[in-house]
Amino acid sequence: MTLAAVFAIAWQPTGFAQPDRHDPSSETRLKAAFLYKFASYVEWPPQNAPGPGAPLVIGVMDADALMRELSEITVGRSIDDHPIEVRRLDPSEPLAGVQILFIGNRRGSQLDTQLLPTRRQPILTVTESRGAISNGSIINFTVERDRVRFEVSLAAAEASRLKLSSRLLSVASRVHRKAK
Amino acid sequence: MNVLSRQKSVYRKLLIVVLSTTAFALLLAGIALAILDLRSYRQGWIAELTTQADVLSLATAPALEFEDPSSAQAYLDLLKAQPAIIGAALYTANGALFATYTDGDHADLAFPRIPELDGFRTARNQLDLFKRIDSGNEILGTVYIKARYDIGARLRDHASVLAAVLLLSFGITLLIARPLQRNVTRPITEITKVARDVIEKRDFSARAPRTTEDEIGVLVDAFNGMLAEISTRTEVLEKSNRDLAHEIGERSRAEDALMASEDRLLALNAELESRVAARTSELEAANKDLEGFSYSVSHDLRAPLRAILGFSALFAEEHQTELGDEGRRKLGIIRRESERMGRLIDDLLAFSRLGRKALQPVSLDMTALVQSVIERLKRDDGACRTEFRIGSLPQSRGDQNLFEQVWLNLIANAVKFSSKRETPVVEIGGIVHEQEHIYYVRDNGAGFESRYSARLFGVFQRLHRQEDFPGTGVGLALVHKIVTRHGGRVWADGKPDAGATFHFALPKEEADG
Repeated sequence: MTLAAVFAIAWQPTGFAQPDRHDPSSETRLKAAFLYKFASYVEWPPQNAPGPGAPLVIGVMDADALMRELSEITVGRSIDDHPIEVRRLDPSEPLAGVQILFIGNRRGSQLDTQLLPTRRQPILTVTESRGAISNGSIINFTVERDRVRFEVSLAAAEASRLKLSSRLLSVASRVHRKAK
Repeated sequence: MNVLSRQKSVYRKLLIVVLSTTAFALLLAGIALAILDLRSYRQGWIAELTTQADVLSLATAPALEFEDPSSAQAYLDLLKAQPAIIGAALYTANGALFATYTDGDHADLAFPRIPELDGFRTARNQLDLFKRIDSGNEILGTVYIKARYDIGARLRDHASVLAAVLLLSFGITLLIARPLQRNVTRPITEITKVARDVIEKRDFSARAPRTTEDEIGVLVDAFNGMLAEISTRTEVLEKSNRDLAHEIGERSRAEDALMASEDRLLALNAELESRVAARTSELEAANKDLEGFSYSVSHDLRAPLRAILGFSALFAEEHQTELGDEGRRKLGIIRRESERMGRLIDDLLAFSRLGRKALQPVSLDMTALVQSVIERLKRDDGACRTEFRIGSLPQSRGDQNLFEQVWLNLIANAVKFSSKRETPVVEIGGIVHEQEHIYYVRDNGAGFESRYSARLFGVFQRLHRQEDFPGTGVGLALVHKIVTRHGGRVWADGKPDAGATFHFALPKEEADG
């Protein structure tokens, strides 16, 4: 599904927080918000779903600025009665108990090794690197025409036994299906 | 209901009633239906738009969350399928416009700058609806929908449908009214026609045909009955009018006859009166002649009678010896009868003189008069045993000499007829009445049969034999004549052997008091 056609409409929102390429912090802030909001559209398999009242853990690797931003906006917030816990992770640390894992773009060449432990694991992996989908990432942020968008790999999600809401897919800039 | 009362035809009135009832009922029903329809239209439309907004908010929530206006725009553009929606917009949680949609005709539509609270409002045939978009615990934004809400057009639709229904109903009503006229108004029209005929031609034999069994049928019967009644009454009235006219003619004829006969009667009366007057004057002349005759006869008779008396006295004196007893007795009879004849002649003279002599009325002391008469009677008859009782006697006016004669005759009569009683009583009295003085003389003598009382006062009329009570039969006639000449009247009451009462009344004169 593509929504490219509708972009032709002349539309200039006034109060919209438009990302600015000269202001990386704006892009970071948006990505942090999206990351938190993804949780609402994802259903984890029982073995990795957070128990009743247990926190939903978002692990962050190689993205300190985003980490700080995410920690700020999730204070006091919860998703489906699960408080949000943001955890800073090193590549060597185990991923047990993590529902969402964000891997920053700091060491792009090592992305496939970083993603390797998450393969077939019920963890929603989110990246911000070009070509990350082919490395096994489920959601990958892109910047298109100065906007933060994201592409989704249904094949990867399925392999991880995660169910993504079709409503999430409707706003994705690109959806990679498993037949691909 | 001025319109109704102006109509002259019952059919039209009925038609107006039916049409107005139909129109009224349809109008009410139409208004009620319109109100119901507008209400359900409003509720249905609001519910539909709310659903639309719900669907939109669900569909566009991710677009808002992930700040993807193009996705939102795609959803909004789907509203094209609903032409009643003029425009729609999505606002972010901050209240900023996120995506908008307008249909082709309203490209310049101005959207509210900031979203309002959940709810809807209607204005100028448009309905605005706001609906929050949330994700369970967070407000994501607001959906705004602007839709047509054309109550006016709907009302116009209703009105035109109602008008069409009304026209159709009127047409059907007019069709139905035809048989109605046949059943209801035609009998009435026929009655009206007959009534008009009756009034114009005065033909009471006309009858209205009865075609229905309802109240109009009863009306027709009643009308026909009334006509029959009127016709009968009119005949009776005309007959009685004819009779009356006839009677009036007869009566006027009778009146004419009566007047004619009255005239004849008057003429006859006048003739009679003149005849009576003539007879009366003849009679008076005859009376006068008679009185003159009797006077001269009496006067002339006195001379030979005096000669008879004188010579019979001389004869008795000079031939006493030759006569003998028998001769003397017979001569005595001659002398007594001659004397009696003399008295008769005197009385007759007095009686006839009364008619010729003028009255000399003076105030009369009746008591003194009566007493002098009684004294004279006692002097003349020394052996008189009669007891006289004299009551009070009112004064009166009259001729003194004549009333002396009246009293003398009445009292002498009473004394004479009571003389055979052991204790003869003569009572004399008077009564003062309103208009007359009544005097009476009552005795306890022989009396008389009351049926003969009228004859008592005639000349020479006597009820007793000469042998029982001697008299000339002129006295009471004299009394009668004197009293009547004074304007009075006399009468007598009596019974045989129970005495008699003689009354005379004199008119009261003003001087008497």
